[in-house]
Amino acid sequence: MSGMHLSREFFELIKSIGESKSKQEEDRIIINEIAVLKKKLENDKPGSITTSIPGAPGGGVATGGNTLTTNKKKAREFLVRVLYVEMLGHDGSFGYIKAVELAASQSIVHKRTGYMVCACCLSPDHPFRFMLVNQMQRDLVSSNLLESCGALIAVTNLITPDLVGTVSSQVIGLLDHSAETVRKKAIVALHRLHQLSPDAVPQQEVIEKTRKMLCDRDPAVMGSTLNVIEALARVNVQPFKDLVPSLISILKQICERRLPSEYDYHRIPAPWMQMKIVRILSVIGKNDIQASEGMYEILGDCLRKAEEAGINASNAIVYECIRCITVIYPNPVLLDAAGNSISRFLSSRSQNLRYLGVTGLASIVERHPKYAADHQLAVIECLEDKDDTLLRKTLDLLYRMTNPVNVEFITDRLLHFLRGSTDPYLKKDLTGKICTIAERYAPNNGWYVRTVTELFKIAGDLVDPAVATNLMSLVAEGTGNEDADDEADMLLRKQAVELYVTLLASAPNRMNRVLVETLAWVLGEYGYLSSIMPLDAIIDGMCKLLQSGNTAKLGGGAPSTRRLILSAIMKMVSQYGNCPAAAAKVIDDYTKSSDPDAQKRCLEFQTLLTTAPHMLGEVFPVDASLEDVDVDENLSFLNGLVSEAISSGARPYQRPEDDDDDDMYVGGSLSSETASTFKVTPYEKPTTTYGQGRMAGMGSTNMGPGGNANVTLPPGSGGTSQAAVTPSLPITPAQPQLMMRNVANVWGKQQPPPPPASTPAPVSTPASSGYRGFGAPAPSSYGGFGASSPVPAPAAPVKTAEQLEKERLAAALFGGISTTSQPPPPPPAAVTPQILTAASITPAATPVVAAPISAPAPPVTAPAPAAAAPAPEIDLLDMGSWGADPGPVATAAPSTLDMLAPTPLIQETVAAPPPAAPPAPPAPVPAPASVDPFADAGLLDGYTESAPLPSFGSSDTLGSAKFEFGGVAVAPLVITTPQFGERWGRCPATHPVNVPSSSSASTLSKFMALCERAGLHKVEEIPATNEGIAACMADGGSAVALVHGKVSPLPGGQQSRVDITVKSTDAQLGGTLAMYLQNMIR
Amino acid sequence: MVCVHHAQLLTFPAHRNKQGQTRLSSYYEWMDMQERVALESEIIRKCLSRSELQCSFLEYRGFKVIYRRYASLFFIVGTKADIDVRALDGSGSIAENYENELGLLEFIHSLVETMDRWAGSICELDIMYQLEQVHFLLDEMVMNGYIVETNKSNILRPIDLIDRESKKTEGMFR
Repeated sequence: MSGMHLSREFFELIKSIGESKSKQEEDRIIINEIAVLKKKLENDKPGSITTSIPGAPGGGVATGGNTLTTNKKKAREFLVRVLYVEMLGHDGSFGYIKAVELAASQSIVHKRTGYMVCACCLSPDHPFRFMLVNQMQRDLVSSNLLESCGALIAVTNLITPDLVGTVSSQVIGLLDHSAETVRKKAIVALHRLHQLSPDAVPQQEVIEKTRKMLCDRDPAVMGSTLNVIEALARVNVQPFKDLVPSLISILKQICERRLPSEYDYHRIPAPWMQMKIVRILSVIGKNDIQASEGMYEILGDCLRKAEEAGINASNAIVYECIRCITVIYPNPVLLDAAGNSISRFLSSRSQNLRYLGVTGLASIVERHPKYAADHQLAVIECLEDKDDTLLRKTLDLLYRMTNPVNVEFITDRLLHFLRGSTDPYLKKDLTGKICTIAERYAPNNGWYVRTVTELFKIAGDLVDPAVATNLMSLVAEGTGNEDADDEADMLLRKQAVELYVTLLASAPNRMNRVLVETLAWVLGEYGYLSSIMPLDAIIDGMCKLLQSGNTAKLGGGAPSTRRLILSAIMKMVSQYGNCPAAAAKVIDDYTKSSDPDAQKRCLEFQTLLTTAPHMLGEVFPVDASLEDVDVDENLSFLNGLVSEAISSGARPYQRPEDDDDDDMYVGGSLSSETASTFKVTPYEKPTTTYGQGRMAGMGSTNMGPGGNANVTLPPGSGGTSQAAVTPSLPITPAQPQLMMRNVANVWGKQQPPPPPASTPAPVSTPASSGYRGFGAPAPSSYGGFGASSPVPAPAAPVKTAEQLEKERLAAALFGGISTTSQPPPPPPAAVTPQILTAASITPAATPVVAAPISAPAPPVTAPAPAAAAPAPEIDLLDMGSWGADPGPVATAAPSTLDMLAPTPLIQETVAAPPPAAPPAPPAPVPAPASVDPFADAGLLDGYTESAPLPSFGSSDTLGSAKFEFGGVAVAPLVITTPQFGERWGRCPATHPVNVPSSSSASTLSKFMALCERAGLHKVEEIPATNEGIAACMADGGSAVALVHGKVSPLPGGQQSRVDITVKSTDAQLGGTLAMYLQNMIR
Repeated sequence: MVCVHHAQLLTFPAHRNKQGQTRLSSYYEWMDMQERVALESEIIRKCLSRSELQCSFLEYRGFKVIYRRYASLFFIVGTKADIDVRALDGSGSIAENYENELGLLEFIHSLVETMDRWAGSICELDIMYQLEQVHFLLDEMVMNGYIVETNKSNILRPIDLIDRESKKTEGMFR
């Protein structure tokens, strides 16, 4: 080996580095080495070359006549030593020039060393990179393939965006080189150039070349091209869609061992290529049924073959297949196979495989929650594992399987882990996750406030400021529901206030900025609601907070935080009606503050307090943060004063000509007179600063002209409370309208899965409609509907199940996840007594439980609370706790269904089943009457559209209404209209049904409700033509039935003719479903 | 240690002995030397603190780290999600890193096997004395952060050619 021809010096250096015992010792060696190397370079100066003839003086330590310039071998060794210097953390920049020189060497090994050291050491902006371009250009076209390869590697590592054009044509030329080793490097280098400069190497060209290289005769070239395809397809998948057959064929050949055995790794044929292809397939198959269907077979084969081998390399392929299967359009057979592999991983003793099991499970549960249920105990074990990597992945899994039932348990876990973690990336990630699930699945507003406050305590510095804004809006607005919720809103505020009062009393010194600011705002607005601490004590507490000398810690002593606290104190003083001494002192102190804003506020407040204390209530109105602020832009309230002044001889106001500030506001005649001289159009008023400007300047602008406190006040009345929020949280919108939009986000209206209430609402009311979905629990939880029963919130399952430790955890965790993907079919008779009671809770209580559970769950799997789960006692716990609710026990099970989510949300429907007296339609089969509330409420359509299945699927009592096929209820098939159309043509069996007159399906919405009731998924409802389509599947998806219905109202309006066409892949399924529907509609 | 820019495989196969000293590192996305040294020492500390019973993967500063231990040497690969893809997928918060952990773990072994075939049974000093050659070998296997070659014959053929030529030229220039 050439490496063995070492100089003594180099040998000693490596030996001493190798033997060094500490970082300090290593540093000493390197510092010494740097001196030696610099000396060598010194002796190598151009001047010394001439003197370094053998025998001449000045050879120094090293050379005995050979300099770095003349002896390339020495130069190479010199560079390796420089590389060591750099690698061990020291500056070796003195030697870079030698690397550039060496890259121009004739010898390939020297050349490669030169390039390599440059690639390791030269930063992207280093001028030497430019010096290498010429050399690279020459090497690229060299006839020596080793030089071409070296240059391609150098191009990949060293070219900068501005230099791409200088080498791109040569690199493209090398794609046709005769040697595979050059071609495989050239395609990667070309991709690199494209990444660096998409303009110089356009995407189209790279795609074209890549597709060609995929078909290269040499497998190595194909293998390296796969990398490029994956990277490009992740950016833009379209150009690669048609490659599926080629990729499948390649994968097939690899699986069948058609590649030379040199590509095998531990007898697995080309495992990395297999993984790469499967990964590319997952990119292409995502959201593409057609592409997905093409790859099912090969994925199955690939997975099966890999499963058989059972070593690490093959397990890696299995894992890749699992991820692919969960990403592409679902296929039940493959999903089950993936589920089995996940089970095998999870139960493995190898920690690495368990890791893959957990991540694999995380990828599958999001869309197919049923697979989680099989692994309850395994997941709990992973949660208790000592391995923090595994734990972390498990938490990620929990995050993905969160639903309204287990959200409290999971949030607890995540918060717990967050408390103990130090990695900022991890903390940031966890914080975001907690915010997401808290917003999406909060069982009630009180819980949300508590959870977010806890999050602020732990990681307030990492929380998105919008979360704090949302929280404050929530406290201010409550459920956003105008009617009957005042009490609940008040309770929420009270809870929030008491939460913050407790915080204030306990640990004021350890609060971070966002927490302090939220606390200040909430207490400032609603401090008077506190029953655990009198208002003056709270004021004292706030003063202490401000004075505690800890202000530096309050968000780094941000002035805005102090202003917020001051505002809060002022508001509370106003509420209290008297100024405690502590508050007076603080305010007096801050009149001398160096912060002009704080000083201004305090001065104004002092003036107000001394001259017009009775006005305090108007300046700081109670609970008015949501009220519109009327700004009298024309200052019309001054008109009287002005006319009086004019009448007493004053000169009328002349607009100064250069005052363009007010152009926006002044009426047409005046501005056209004056503005014409300078400019034609007025400047646009910067809208973003409007809110801040107004309140920052609030005092000055208004106080100026009036010169007396009374005049100042009105505009400030509502503004003050908002002003308190705005300076620190600039995103807080000043207008209530915007604020409401923020609130809507709290509940993740735009996030999947959508909340139930998607009633098309006017722009101004998304907040309220967004609230309805999840806000529903709040009223009844707090007795808003007159049901004064204890809160039957989903917290209960966790609490009641404290007997068996792990099963308790599992119950908390897996609540809301059914074991089957189908809605629970059991007829009432088969259900245990507990469940019967549970299912027949009082109407008022039902929505509390049912609404949050059913609403956001993924459509395919109804979160079944019922007996379908494998461990009945676990699931019963959920139900039992609801059943334990002391509300009146209704006997008629089906009626509870009508009580589901929409009921308490929509005023009209509440009327139908009065909440106080549980209605008792005795019929076990859904009578037409029980359907009516749905059909009549127009809002319901919106509701069912976004949460089609769960609203029905979650109740066992409706089991009887479900259409069953082969003894198992059908599952809704969630597809879109285009997908429906596509399948329609392919279904062989057709069954038309005509019902000449029907009253139960007299309108389209009633008909659709019936379909959904039967367990079908409503695909689309077309009111314009009175047509609707729905779909379902049976046998785990192997049989599909599609339903098309047209409702033609008959004269008289009470009845309609209904024409139904059922198409199915299975004639028997279609036939029975058609008959079933016919019976139901008659 | 390795890294890539846009591509999502950004690995850093760093060889480190038990004291945590770096023996070789290769990055496929630029990082300052100071940063590299700091990152390497933090990651090796994490690796050293883990027991045999824990899995071979960890996450650190947004890196997915895969490591494998051979006697006193740790081979470490770090990967990061593709920045472009992160920007593209729009969801923002969670950047998916699609690397297959077990696949990379096996890749490390494949690298070690290849080195074994090249230099007999490879040891720490072999790497130290032939640092540049090990870099060449790695360059054959990983380019731009992608695994481009795992066929050992294909990898070693150019390395042997370089070796042979260097012996020739050394003769000439001695």
